[in-house]
Amino acid sequence: MNSLIAPTALLRKGDRGLVIGWNDGARSEYDVRKLRLNCPCAACVNEWNGEKILDAGAVPPDVRPLRLFAVGRYAMGVQWSDGHATGIFSYDYLRRLEGV
Amino acid sequence: MASLTSDMVLSVLRHVQDPDLHKDIVDLGFVKNLSIEGGAVRFDVELTTPACPVKEDLKRQCEEFVRSLPGVTSVMVNMTAQPSKGFAGKRTELLRDVRHVIAVASGKGGVGKSTATANLAVALARTGAKVGVLDADIYGPSMSLMFHVTETPLIDEKQKLVPVTAQGIKVVSMAMFAEDDKPVIWRGPMVSQMVQNFVHNVVWGELDYLLIDMPPGTGDVQLTLTQSAPLSGGVILTTPQEVSVLDAKKGLKMFQKVSVPVLGIIENMSWFECDGCGKRHHIFRQGGGRRIAESLGVPFLGEIPIDPEVAEAGDSGNPIVARKPDSQVSMAYRRIAGTLAASLSVLTAERGDVLGEFDFKWEELQQA
Repeated sequence: MNSLIAPTALLRKGDRGLVIGWNDGARSEYDVRKLRLNCPCAACVNEWNGEKILDAGAVPPDVRPLRLFAVGRYAMGVQWSDGHATGIFSYDYLRRLEGV
Repeated sequence: MASLTSDMVLSVLRHVQDPDLHKDIVDLGFVKNLSIEGGAVRFDVELTTPACPVKEDLKRQCEEFVRSLPGVTSVMVNMTAQPSKGFAGKRTELLRDVRHVIAVASGKGGVGKSTATANLAVALARTGAKVGVLDADIYGPSMSLMFHVTETPLIDEKQKLVPVTAQGIKVVSMAMFAEDDKPVIWRGPMVSQMVQNFVHNVVWGELDYLLIDMPPGTGDVQLTLTQSAPLSGGVILTTPQEVSVLDAKKGLKMFQKVSVPVLGIIENMSWFECDGCGKRHHIFRQGGGRRIAESLGVPFLGEIPIDPEVAEAGDSGNPIVARKPDSQVSMAYRRIAGTLAASLSVLTAERGDVLGEFDFKWEELQQA
């Protein structure tokens, strides 16, 4: 009745890769900087028209997550080394981001 | 004749199936403390929840199967419950011993949500479960009245709030902090803060079920709750007519958006049975709750009839399920509580090894 996608494992791949194992058996890999650039929060993306506000040039090349935490049961919050911490990456969104 | 062994007892107990989890009780590890003395067999059956709706039936089956063994003179089955672990792996300290957090929501006001929450709480508690109620209806809290709570909760030495116990249920409500005749006039961020306080700064202790009476609608408080508490599931209350059903749908979509499993839909005020002629009057039309459940593919948990005594009982601080546990309305609540408990156990079993409430430092993550 409820097919709820949720992570079963969070792993690091080298210094720049985040691997998420999912409860449907899938496995996703993300480059952490690309993840930062795709932050869906209202400071990075215009809430009304979906336009990107975030200036990619302003994000340090070596940006990395400091902390990854669950938000309720539908999303992961990330605190970044550039001070940004308002992004909530829903699991649905993360699945759609796969391979960026 | 060979003497009785525990293997013999276990092998017949394999015929007893848990109807919800679709496995036998031996495989599920429910059989505990088996002892055999001569022909006297004793054991515990530890279910996933004290609110198991088929508890008596399972007990009877256990007794019958074991008694069928040669050499058995007596069977003592003790039904106990170790509620299954909630979904969340790592919880905030104060919620750690709370197995299941359930949100009771409705798309719109006036469907009897507080009454239903109070009565479901009593129904669950009657089965032996430990139950708490968080009244998160910040603007119109009513749980203090429903449970006739007049005292203010104490603050312990760690500056945490101790819930007030009424009818065996731990209750925390905004009403305990506001004056009766003064409205709560707060802006969104203050409300969110208060709700987070209720979830994370209350010493709930060990609970099988924490029911959250959500404020009507799909706004700030609802979002805060789904983000700060690891909800096991949500229940949506509606009345039969179309306008209410429409709003229930919104409540359901909200839960789905934040991945909270919808345990089902309860229809309140389904009919009124005339005490003169016994005819059922469908005052708010008929079947809306069931229709929406079917169209959205979620379980329909049941109908609750209108009974003037429900309001009377609620107003006097003694919910109908406590006051008249065998009335038609109370039986409906008790059936729904049983179904809820069962579906939570199933959901927990199905969900497997998800991370739950995690919080990792980047350096802590293992290398892939």
